[in-house]
Amino acid sequence: MSQLELRGIRKTYPGAAEETLKGIDIDIASGEFLILVGPSGCGKSTLMNTIAGLESITDGAIVLNGADIAGMEPKDRDIAMVFQSYALYPTMSVRENIAFGLKIRGLPKQEIDQEVERVADLLQISQLLNKKPANLSGGQQQRVAMGRALARRPRIYLFDEPLSNLDAKLRVEMRTEIKKLHQRLKTTIVYVTHDQIEAMTLADRIAVLKDGELQQLGTPKEVYDRPENLFVAGFMGSPAMSFVPVTVEQGDNGLEAEVRGNDGRAIRLPVPEFLADRVGREVILGIRPEHITQPQDQKNDQTLVAKGEFTIEVTEPTGPDVIALIQLNDTNVHCRIDPEHPVEWGETAELMFDMKKVVFFDPETEKRIAPH
Amino acid sequence: MTDVVRTGFRPSRVAIYGVLLLAALVYLIPLFIMLVTSFKTPMDIRTGNLMALPTDWTTIGWTKAWSEACTGVDCNGISGYFWNSFKMTVPAVLISTLLGAFNGYVLSKWKFKGSDLFFGMLLFGCFVPFQVVLLPMAATLGQLGLANTTTGLVLVHVIYGVAFTTLFFRNYYVAIPDALIKAARLDGAGFFTIFFRILLPMSTPIFMVSLIWQFTQIWNDFLFGVVFASGDSQPITVALNNLVNTSTGVKEYNVDMAAAMIAALPTLVVYIVAGKYFIRGLTAGSVKG
Repeated sequence: MSQLELRGIRKTYPGAAEETLKGIDIDIASGEFLILVGPSGCGKSTLMNTIAGLESITDGAIVLNGADIAGMEPKDRDIAMVFQSYALYPTMSVRENIAFGLKIRGLPKQEIDQEVERVADLLQISQLLNKKPANLSGGQQQRVAMGRALARRPRIYLFDEPLSNLDAKLRVEMRTEIKKLHQRLKTTIVYVTHDQIEAMTLADRIAVLKDGELQQLGTPKEVYDRPENLFVAGFMGSPAMSFVPVTVEQGDNGLEAEVRGNDGRAIRLPVPEFLADRVGREVILGIRPEHITQPQDQKNDQTLVAKGEFTIEVTEPTGPDVIALIQLNDTNVHCRIDPEHPVEWGETAELMFDMKKVVFFDPETEKRIAPH
Repeated sequence: MTDVVRTGFRPSRVAIYGVLLLAALVYLIPLFIMLVTSFKTPMDIRTGNLMALPTDWTTIGWTKAWSEACTGVDCNGISGYFWNSFKMTVPAVLISTLLGAFNGYVLSKWKFKGSDLFFGMLLFGCFVPFQVVLLPMAATLGQLGLANTTTGLVLVHVIYGVAFTTLFFRNYYVAIPDALIKAARLDGAGFFTIFFRILLPMSTPIFMVSLIWQFTQIWNDFLFGVVFASGDSQPITVALNNLVNTSTGVKEYNVDMAAAMIAALPTLVVYIVAGKYFIRGLTAGSVKG
């Protein structure tokens, strides 16, 4: 059980003009599964390497169970890492791979054997122990890499995009496996990925990074439902949230915003009361595909719901849903439609807007406008 | 693909194989002539055709070359010099290869400020002509008290070879993912443990390249041998030259050829034994080793 605090982590590479990490503060509770997510080049891997001790920090503190480990060598930090490429030692058997760290730490042979057995049972790789990594499939190598990390019973586990090299089906399987493992072992995990679905499904909390800055830190639900800014909103969710510029107006039954389809027809969407001080000004409406659906009878009487007819430009059936593309105020907007309610491209369809969960952003600051 | 395989017998195929066969023959002719001449009697050589097989097969040329032929003033054959060459080549090859492996490890996985510049300058060592270093090297060996010794020759060859072996190993290790080193560091392995337990066991192909290259270079070297060794410590290349140039009466081509074959055999054997690794090591980057 280990608790990790990152305090004002800054990192500038020698000779680089800009900071790679611009003061990251994250507290990771004992047993927590924290995911660092962001586009490539956001600094998430650098942050992970600094935790591991593979790279130094320019400023800040890395506090593990109350002690600052920032100046320590990787081997003294008692942290294990699973790499994207697995980084298995090619000349050693699976058993030797798992045992390597234990051997170096000078554990007695009997204890090492026990530990290898335990880990192999846990990950169901007992039958692979005498094989060389080159003779294993990608999924098996992945398991061995996790086994090597687990064997040492380190204080913190770091996962650096561990599933990126697997094919789609295996990735989903291993995702579930990792989640199960975490629920069983209650270990503290920091996990880097650029895959926002992995982040949503695995994390206790997600830290979204961009350009070396922490954009938002919160539970998957918080990050998804209440993104702090346009970047987080656009990054989390697939298909992504659509951003429609609208003007807040005072209507007869409360605040409204007009959206116009590409055929010129417009409807007025009800917007929440906390936008009252922005009447007459432009805001950015952030709307997720699932907020625009086929008409649903049970929602007819609810507040903050509107209906209108729009021309469907593209349909993308995914199986459980059909993703349809429409235009609102000259921006592309995705809608998530029940496949039992067929829509065809080029035709008009009646769509229902559920405005209860939409979010609004200030066009200047790009920050979410919070309810008072 | 299968089409090409099935219609194997076509004029273009025949032409290709014909040219290849011809090229192989051209390269084999000198070896063939050396071999058959070494087994001929002096009489046979004088009267017979150069390309003809011996009328009387005899190993007298070989035994004479090995233990009786005159190299300069003494007439004990080239056997002593053959072992001289081994005493020089084996340590020089092993030391330069190990040093190169270690250099390559540092230059690829533990880069320091200016390490790329250092490597670039080290590469110049591959292009320095032998003649340029003769005088300074002679002076250095003299001051070290190693002039005219096998140890001195070993030192010269190690220094000269390290540039090549470093190049080999550095380029081989650069292709090995850094994540492997990181994983080992997190597992608690230090600088030397990583080198000896992780990287060296992965290095067989490039080791073979380095061994063959260095063995061939050092065994076949003549210039350093003739300059920095004298008398009893001379390597076989120098002895062969002396043998061929020592003229007492009739020229014994069979002895000369046998001696040349003896001098060439070790490099041939090394290549035959380790050759498959040589090709594999040279192409390691493209196929992933």
